[in-house]
Amino acid sequence: MTPIVEGRGLTRTFSMSSGPVTALRDVSMLISPGEYVAITGPSGCGKSTLLHLLGCVDAPTSGSLYFEGRDAAALSESERSRIRLTRIGFVFQRFFLLPMLDAWENVELPQAEIGGDAVKRRSRTRELLDYVGLGDRVHHRPSQLSGGEMQRVAIARALANRPALLLADEPTGELDEDTGAQIADLFDRVHADGTAIVVVTHNPLLAARATRHLTMARGTLQASPR
Amino acid sequence: MTSRALAWRTVTAERSRAVLAVAGVAVIGALLFDMLLLSRGLLVSFRQMLDTAGYDVRVVASEAFPIRSPIPEASPVAADVARLPEVRDVTIVRTDRALVLIQGRGPTEVELLNLTVGAERRVWRLTAGQDLGPRVRTKTSSSPAVISRGLAESLTLAPGSTFRLRVIVSGVASALPPATFEVIGIADFHFAAANEHAVATTFDAFQGVRGSTASDAADVILVASRPEVESASTVAAIERQRPDVRAYSNDEVVARFDENGFAYFRQISFVLSSITLGFAFLLVGTLLTVSVNQRLGQVAALRALGFPRRRIAAMLAWESAWLVGVGGLLSLPVGWALALQLDRILRQMPNISDELHFFVFEPRIAVWHLGLLAATGVAAAVYPVWIATRLPIAATLRLETVS
Repeated sequence: MTPIVEGRGLTRTFSMSSGPVTALRDVSMLISPGEYVAITGPSGCGKSTLLHLLGCVDAPTSGSLYFEGRDAAALSESERSRIRLTRIGFVFQRFFLLPMLDAWENVELPQAEIGGDAVKRRSRTRELLDYVGLGDRVHHRPSQLSGGEMQRVAIARALANRPALLLADEPTGELDEDTGAQIADLFDRVHADGTAIVVVTHNPLLAARATRHLTMARGTLQASPR
Repeated sequence: MTSRALAWRTVTAERSRAVLAVAGVAVIGALLFDMLLLSRGLLVSFRQMLDTAGYDVRVVASEAFPIRSPIPEASPVAADVARLPEVRDVTIVRTDRALVLIQGRGPTEVELLNLTVGAERRVWRLTAGQDLGPRVRTKTSSSPAVISRGLAESLTLAPGSTFRLRVIVSGVASALPPATFEVIGIADFHFAAANEHAVATTFDAFQGVRGSTASDAADVILVASRPEVESASTVAAIERQRPDVRAYSNDEVVARFDENGFAYFRQISFVLSSITLGFAFLLVGTLLTVSVNQRLGQVAALRALGFPRRRIAAMLAWESAWLVGVGGLLSLPVGWALALQLDRILRQMPNISDELHFFVFEPRIAVWHLGLLAATGVAAAVYPVWIATRLPIAATLRLETVS
């Protein structure tokens, strides 16, 4: 089975005024369809950098990344955008919903970007908002929703185009423990429905839900705790 | 959702920013509109004024025109011109400076005017009484006169009133005796300035009051071409027939004034238009740049979600278009109201004809105005679009999360 994403010897160095800083050193990893991977580690260890490389929003300084068998370095900017739109879903710590749109419109937006049948879009949006438990809040704007509700809308938006891979960067970082547990439950359901998930988190309860748990330190992957 | 709709939602979501931008563009756009109107207003108005009289060619003595250069023997020139097949109508215009004398009042300076019989209606519009003409009659034995409305109001004259008039001869102010005139009509003179008084009379009365200075000289001979003949053809025919005079079509008259008298307004207008466009560019550019900088996280997230650069660029360009478009449309009525006020003020300058306006609406000015604002809107969006489309997605997301 072709892995969804495979990184070989990924290194990412940033040029800073104080000199080059290497955030990721020679990391290799492979995410298979349907996997649920949690990456944990101290702040600044390179977790988010790795997630951004896996999501094709950043490019490694050295090493290579293959997304569904295609070399990401050989793709054009618009091809990478298309992959992110259709094959990858992103969930951010700070949600980044568009504040001028309501929940329904935020979820419909990525589908509209692809185009296609409006009736199917509406049906998918309704299905997703029901799926995340916000069927009664569809016309609420982000400012009218709680943090947990905003993150659920963000998850629905990330799933809108039926991605093969869901990437989440500290999805419970802005939420209290109970709300974080609800989001963790939601990820369990998404995983059970067949979507591969990579979640970067400091939340041990969320990490514990993953089928594979990786830890990072100083830009390198450490041995898995289990 | 289209980029246009997304931009509209963004604009309306940030109401205070939108109101500021639209109001700013409306005010700046109004000034721009006025400057564009001013750049051509006098020319258009002057052209309209020339055309109103129905004459399309002017014959004068020399190329010194528009400086006054009377034709010494006007009657034979007019007769020669009238015989040309291109010509429909010829009018000799004679003028002189004169003083109206009424007992108990100081003298009032006027322009004394005489036209070929039959041309009166083309040069003035009668508002009361009767006009000069072949069968004109006075109640007294005095000479008939049609006077300007301003003079009638100033000296409380009405049809039937009489007054004495003496021609001013340079250096010998009191050499000519005054003659008595009877007001037979009151009129609005097309070419007279608001502060200028005019008295029109018959050829005999005009020559009579000039006494020993009377001559066949005329300031200008006005010529109307036949409808099927181009003005340029008439000009050429006149200059072939009478090489001793110069003929100018209305186009050439306007061009001469444009070179000499009106270029000043066009230059002022160009400078001020450029400045107002610069202000519009800075206003919209600054507001959009600030707005984009406040939304870098959102933009980076949209890019991470797979929205292409062109989509982000289109959204921002539409935001600019909404702000500039709505402001630009509002600027038209605001600018027009301002133009009417400015026109009223400028027309109070001395020696400006009642028929002349500094601000004249032309549809193409509105098109230029909106086109210039649209171009400014696009230019103002370039830098914010560049920021939004070139931002490093991963670094921006990291920074936004940390901050």
